[in-house]
Amino acid sequence: MKRFLEKLAEGALLLSGSITSITILLIVLFLFKEASGLFRSPVIEEGYVIALNKANTVKSLSSYEIKEIFDGEISNWAELGGKDEAIEVVRLSDLTNYYTEEELGAEFENIPAKASELTASHPGIVLFLPKQYLAKKFDGITLDKETIHPGDFFGGKEWYPTASPSAQFGLLPLLLGTLWVSLGAILLSLPFGIAVAVYLAEIATMRVRNILKPIIELLAGIPSVVYGFFGLVVLVPFLQKIFQLPVGETALAGSVVLAIMALPTIITVAEDAMRTTPRAMKEASLALGATHWQTIYKVIIPYSKSGITSAAVLGIGRAIGETMAVLMVTGNAAVIPHTLLEPVRTIPATIAAELGEAASGSAHYQALFALGCILFLITMVLSISVEFISKKQK
Amino acid sequence: MLTVEAKNVDFYYSDFHALKNISLEVEKNKVVAFIGPSGCGKSTFLRILNRMNDLIDGTRMTGSVLIEGEDIYAPNVRVDELRKKVGMVFQKPNPFPKTIFENIAYGLRVNGIKDNSFIEQRVEESLKSAALWDEVKDKLKKSAFALSGGQQQRLCIARALAISPKVVLMDEPASALDPISTAKIEELIYELKKDYTIIIVTHNMQQASRVSDKTAYFYLGELIEYDDTTKIFTNPQKESTQNYITGRFG
Repeated sequence: MKRFLEKLAEGALLLSGSITSITILLIVLFLFKEASGLFRSPVIEEGYVIALNKANTVKSLSSYEIKEIFDGEISNWAELGGKDEAIEVVRLSDLTNYYTEEELGAEFENIPAKASELTASHPGIVLFLPKQYLAKKFDGITLDKETIHPGDFFGGKEWYPTASPSAQFGLLPLLLGTLWVSLGAILLSLPFGIAVAVYLAEIATMRVRNILKPIIELLAGIPSVVYGFFGLVVLVPFLQKIFQLPVGETALAGSVVLAIMALPTIITVAEDAMRTTPRAMKEASLALGATHWQTIYKVIIPYSKSGITSAAVLGIGRAIGETMAVLMVTGNAAVIPHTLLEPVRTIPATIAAELGEAASGSAHYQALFALGCILFLITMVLSISVEFISKKQK
Repeated sequence: MLTVEAKNVDFYYSDFHALKNISLEVEKNKVVAFIGPSGCGKSTFLRILNRMNDLIDGTRMTGSVLIEGEDIYAPNVRVDELRKKVGMVFQKPNPFPKTIFENIAYGLRVNGIKDNSFIEQRVEESLKSAALWDEVKDKLKKSAFALSGGQQQRLCIARALAISPKVVLMDEPASALDPISTAKIEELIYELKKDYTIIIVTHNMQQASRVSDKTAYFYLGELIEYDDTTKIFTNPQKESTQNYITGRFG
């Protein structure tokens, strides 16, 4: 009977372990499946088509090129490797510039024919048209099979998910925003965290340590939205005043909030590492006439180097994945930042802010999943490196 | 000439009275062995001589200890300076996770010595005095952990010698070693007493009788008997000493 119960318990444990692993794998699989849809989505807004003159040597346009054309930034086909021909942008509403309303018909029934005619007669035309107005025998090239190219996502410098006719899903501003904020956070929190860890592990008396340690660990338990609230109310106006900024919501504000949030992790992990320095090592150093400080930086810190590195990596991991607090204080402008004093937008903040307004299954929706994948990959690399570092220590 | 002079030393771990009124003198260039059953206070007394017990919270000491005539517990004494004078070798070999060379150079470097040729010279001298030079001269840049246990312990002795201490304290230096390594360490102690005063704690009575000039027998925090080694082992004055050295307890 006892044996049977033991077997049963073993089975239950195995089952829960397998279920957990499978669930995690399924989540990751789901993430990547949704994200991969992005690269099958059309470049052009759903239900629309872009048409060019038959004689045009440019046969395909990336989403960035389309945006630049419609913004008037690119005005000649030669810039895209075509003939030297001015680009003529025509939207549906522009058709009235070429034809009278009578010509287009009372119910716009003539639009397909006229659009075809216009495309055929204007060599430099770019026509942006709803698919329903596309004539059966359209006289021109239509670009509707184009899908978003991985280069547009990974190398894209702009994030305008709702731009028309071609939404921009450029990863760079968001990735750089995330990295800037995280880098700032780690630069602030690492020296401070290590200093506190050294103090707690080596200098503080037992009594001071017993008071400080629980308080620092308590910091880890404060919900991130509270940190965000603190940042918004205290930090943002403060930074705005100190640096004379037009807005206080900057990468720096995010970095400071994240640094405070990452501190408990860094302190706890680094302190634990330092406390594992064998007593024999410390005594050996002291017995050779080294002072306490010499022992700290010549024996204890080198000995706990890998622990300190793990602390840093875990701190970064926390900073990179943090959503709420960052969303509240960084200003959320999806532009590539040049200094820490500019508003930025991070990957997690983007997902949180935009998923609600992205239509399920749309390119925007899939782009957000792709962002999730990027985040997942970053944190995975971080955890693997922690694993690697702590293995190396042994 | 007296190198170590302890007077009426009492020592407490919180409430526990670990050493009771110990007075003991050690002459220059002698080897003194501390023997006694576990918990008798011999290691505690050893660690009083380089103030290693300062590292333990809640300890208290009364009495005085003079090393070369200076009170090492006087308020103006710098502990790191004292420990340069009184080196220590621990029970288990505890090299740093550094190269063999850097292990020896450590004590010199923390003393602010930057002259590399001097450091190299001291490393060689110390390794020679610890009878390790021939075995490691070709692998000074290798990790100290690549050495055997006995070699590591001799490395630790060399490390202690590098800063030219006056007194070398050894806390059961051979207890973690095999018989051949032990023999080497004992031989080394015999050589070293020409230049150093050595105090060794040991559980091994043969070892005490082989290496030491004088032996102190501790029991329950008291110094029961302290005399020439030959006398302690052939004609002890106290019954407790007699019982211990003949192996009736301990």
